[in-house]
Amino acid sequence: MTMLLLLLLPLLAGILLPLLPVGSLWVRRGALITALLQLVLGLWLWRHPPAGLSVSWLPRLGLDLSLGLDGLSLPLVLLTALITAMAVMASPEDQSRPRLFFPLLLATNLGLIGSFLARNALLFVLAYELILIPTTLLVAIWGGQRRAGAAIRFLVYGAVSGIALLAAVLAFGWLSPGGLDFSFTTLADHGLTLNQQRWILALVLLAFGLKLPAVPLHGWQPLTYSQAPTPVAMLLSGAVSKLGAYGLLRFGIGFLPDAWSAWAPWIAAIGAISAIYGALNAISQLEMRRLVAYSSLGHMGFLLLALAAATPLSLQGVVAQMLAHGMIIALLFCLVGLIEARTGTTAIPELSGLLNPQRGLPFTLGLMLLALMAAAGVPGLAGFVAELLVFEGSWVAFPVPTLVCLISSGLTAVYAVRLFNRVGFGRLDNDRADWISTRWSERAPALVLSTLVLITGLFPSMLTGFSEAATGPLALRSSEAVTVIALAPSSNPQLPA
Amino acid sequence: MATILDTAASAGVFNTLLAAVDAAGLRSALEGPGPFTVFAPVDEAFAALPPGTVQTLVDNPPQLARILKYHVLAGLHQRADLIQQPQWDSLEGAPIPIRRADPFEIKNASVVTADVLCDNGVVHVIDRVILPG
Amino acid sequence: MTATIASERTKAPLIPPSTHRYADVIHRLEAGGSMLPDTPENLRQIIGIYKAYAVPMDFYWRDLLYIAERVFLNPLPAFKYFISQQYLDRPNSYAGEQSQLRIWRGTEKAHPELLEFMERGESGRMPKLLHHLWHDRVNMEFAEACMQAMFWHQGMGGRFNDYLVGDAYRANADRAIKAYFKGNPLMLGLYALFPEMFLEQVRQLSYYANLGLFWEVMAPVFFEMSDIYDEGGFKGVPDAMDFLVNGIFAVAGRPIYHHLYIGEECYEIIPKSEGFTWLYEAALPYVEAVFYRTSPFRGTKSYNAQAGQVPADQADFHYGILYADVYPVGSAGIPPTLLMQDMLHFLPPYLREIYQQHRRGEEDELVQLGITFQRSMYNVTSAVIQALRCALLYPLDDTDPEHLMANRRFFEAQMDRFLRPEARLSDIQTQDYR
Repeated sequence: MTMLLLLLLPLLAGILLPLLPVGSLWVRRGALITALLQLVLGLWLWRHPPAGLSVSWLPRLGLDLSLGLDGLSLPLVLLTALITAMAVMASPEDQSRPRLFFPLLLATNLGLIGSFLARNALLFVLAYELILIPTTLLVAIWGGQRRAGAAIRFLVYGAVSGIALLAAVLAFGWLSPGGLDFSFTTLADHGLTLNQQRWILALVLLAFGLKLPAVPLHGWQPLTYSQAPTPVAMLLSGAVSKLGAYGLLRFGIGFLPDAWSAWAPWIAAIGAISAIYGALNAISQLEMRRLVAYSSLGHMGFLLLALAAATPLSLQGVVAQMLAHGMIIALLFCLVGLIEARTGTTAIPELSGLLNPQRGLPFTLGLMLLALMAAAGVPGLAGFVAELLVFEGSWVAFPVPTLVCLISSGLTAVYAVRLFNRVGFGRLDNDRADWISTRWSERAPALVLSTLVLITGLFPSMLTGFSEAATGPLALRSSEAVTVIALAPSSNPQLPA
Repeated sequence: MATILDTAASAGVFNTLLAAVDAAGLRSALEGPGPFTVFAPVDEAFAALPPGTVQTLVDNPPQLARILKYHVLAGLHQRADLIQQPQWDSLEGAPIPIRRADPFEIKNASVVTADVLCDNGVVHVIDRVILPG
Repeated sequence: MTATIASERTKAPLIPPSTHRYADVIHRLEAGGSMLPDTPENLRQIIGIYKAYAVPMDFYWRDLLYIAERVFLNPLPAFKYFISQQYLDRPNSYAGEQSQLRIWRGTEKAHPELLEFMERGESGRMPKLLHHLWHDRVNMEFAEACMQAMFWHQGMGGRFNDYLVGDAYRANADRAIKAYFKGNPLMLGLYALFPEMFLEQVRQLSYYANLGLFWEVMAPVFFEMSDIYDEGGFKGVPDAMDFLVNGIFAVAGRPIYHHLYIGEECYEIIPKSEGFTWLYEAALPYVEAVFYRTSPFRGTKSYNAQAGQVPADQADFHYGILYADVYPVGSAGIPPTLLMQDMLHFLPPYLREIYQQHRRGEEDELVQLGITFQRSMYNVTSAVIQALRCALLYPLDDTDPEHLMANRRFFEAQMDRFLRPEARLSDIQTQDYR
């Protein structure tokens, strides 16, 4: 029942908030309280694992209201609640049309939580589709100058992803001998031929590859991220994109392991290409949001690589990376949003000297340095733990793609330093730099996220502890190979004594 | 004829200058054989300087002497001679530019009366204290 | 003289208007104005900052002279900023009853606000050494940076520098060094081995004396201006400038010298009889070195000399307050920040109020007062330009068009120095530049 509360909270708040009087401060506060309650509830559920919940809904379609919380979905539920709360905090206090904005954010949250909790594929599809509409509206109404184009592109890509997912799920139902039963337990035990699995996997890859996104399905991402308002960009990059990785893990590795194994080298290659493509593009960007967007694309490549490798270690890396990246990317968008709110621009060539202690944004830039270091995988911060697990776990399976990803991880430092050097150092523009300093209420979300990035970096078990039991059984390959390689006798001929 | 200082004293309009020469201890030098060319500012020229200027100088003879030496050239140079050259080195060291021949102007001062010949040189009366630089 | 200048301020339409980029400023100068526009707000700001500047300056000049005359070649001058009581009480030659030329009607002793600050600092009453180490004190490092700028640029007019390389100076310095290290075979031995190094140190100390004597005049000038303003005396920015012009003339003949005292004995390294004057050997080189030139490697911006970012010719240096980007101020240890920090302690209440009303209020007071300081130094530079015009050229109400053109050329040549993009002359024309 408590699990149902996770869903009921945003649902009820989403219905009630628009009923508040115009101009009420409680719309924003209500949304924040909802997300925080959800977070507290999630933490409580962590300590008190709930039993699965299954209520028959439309049995003829095979649709059950079947919910469950395992080590894989719990961290993502927590992440979603956290990012939602931070997104609400990062919204301006005088958010325009709050009675529409915040309910849409909560609707997105509802879809996400629903997806992560779903233990029925059809229910998952429903929740998955639910996300698309509010996010599109959020971009279309509150976005930047090119919001219309961005929203349409986002909608089209999202629709294709949804249709592909629906097709994949239906194919499961039609092809499996047991008839229309979409519960996860049935799907995990389907008995499809390798060929059938391949077709379905192709659809699954299309659906989640679009959501993640991975090259070459990323066409919507830089535009959408750069046009979305800050809270929405935080939610999209921090939580929604993780749904792609989650889907691949559940559907791809979980339900289609044979096909996955067969295609793993190609998936790893796509991961490596995404990583290097994202990093190189990020280096060449002249606009901060786009830079962060491409950086996100690159990190999604790491996820793909780790998923392809599917060793116990790399799958733990996947969960860790989802959490770490979710927090880091949301933090980055939050900080970019702060910079834009003060300076009026996100164009890198127009900004410099923001570290100036008197007239710049030293606090914001200080946190940005932390976020960039975390993204670049500097030890002691969340990004390092995740990337280390990903690379260590994947190396045994795909050394070359892992190496490429390692290089692109190095390139992260290049664009991080480049961005920070351009924006932070140098001469502060006299004509521009006379704004009031950031208020604590504006700094709060970034401060919370930074603290978490630091704490989880220092105590990595917070990123991995949830998932060990859940991801272990999903592994298609043993991590033992590391040991095997290490212990293998040298192939060099022994010299005579 | 008389020495430069005698001539100045009898003219009656160089009281400040003469007092300054005494304060700076240049009297004996200017009574020497020379010959010198002296650009002599009239009393009004000194009076036109902001208050305190002259007093500070009189209190500090070496500094006063330096300013006064800027008004003196070595040798006897009459107007016709002076206008041949764009500038002349003063005893202070800094050059005195000859700005115009007609009306005769040196630096930013106008020469009121030129070519007053004396025993040990020549005096040109100017309407402004000239300063090096 | 105030009356004289006021009467000069009638613009004669005898020459065509200037076509210079700063024609407006030039016409204002020709009408007897300042480079800084004449607004009540500007007057308020510059007088306020003069006062805030004069208090630490009252320490600077005393300590500079203390170092030049007493600390001298101390090989470990760790306590050179711990001024002796004698120098702290040293009567200012231009303030108080005893002064021959009384510029400030106040006292000749160190300013009471300065003494109070030296006692308490920001952090409260504690031993002098702790104040020093905690850097809660007057930042003499700024004064030394100014001295070094003068020392390093050299050759900016005047005879001072020529004298420093002459034989007379060498002999005087030699006598002083030998007397200072009497009975110290180690230092005397080092002197025998490296005489040039010691000589160069003494030259630098001569610039300490030079700057100390320069500022001894400026502190009472600024105090007096603040008092006149408080009494409602100045009607506008040009009045404040005229006061400075008159001040420059009044003390122009002040001797610049360098004496060394060992006990009661005085060694004249640069005797007063050399005839060095305040105007030629101190004020003009100071303005040139500190307002215009200074040096490029101090601040948050680094320059690449190999890439031509630093002029090859020292005369083209443009890192002084008139060109300064005040925004980097706030970084520890760089001289402009040190000065801003010093001035911050002595802001008059009305200036503090102006700053607090602006966007960030107290948070960026340092930058705001830095820009105020920039405005005020444009006014001081205007005074210097007008004084030079007055000394070397013609009255503003001259009726000879050729003379007016000479004035015009002089003003235009001065404004040419602000044509480079770094110059803040156009910024200070509006009140938005904060």
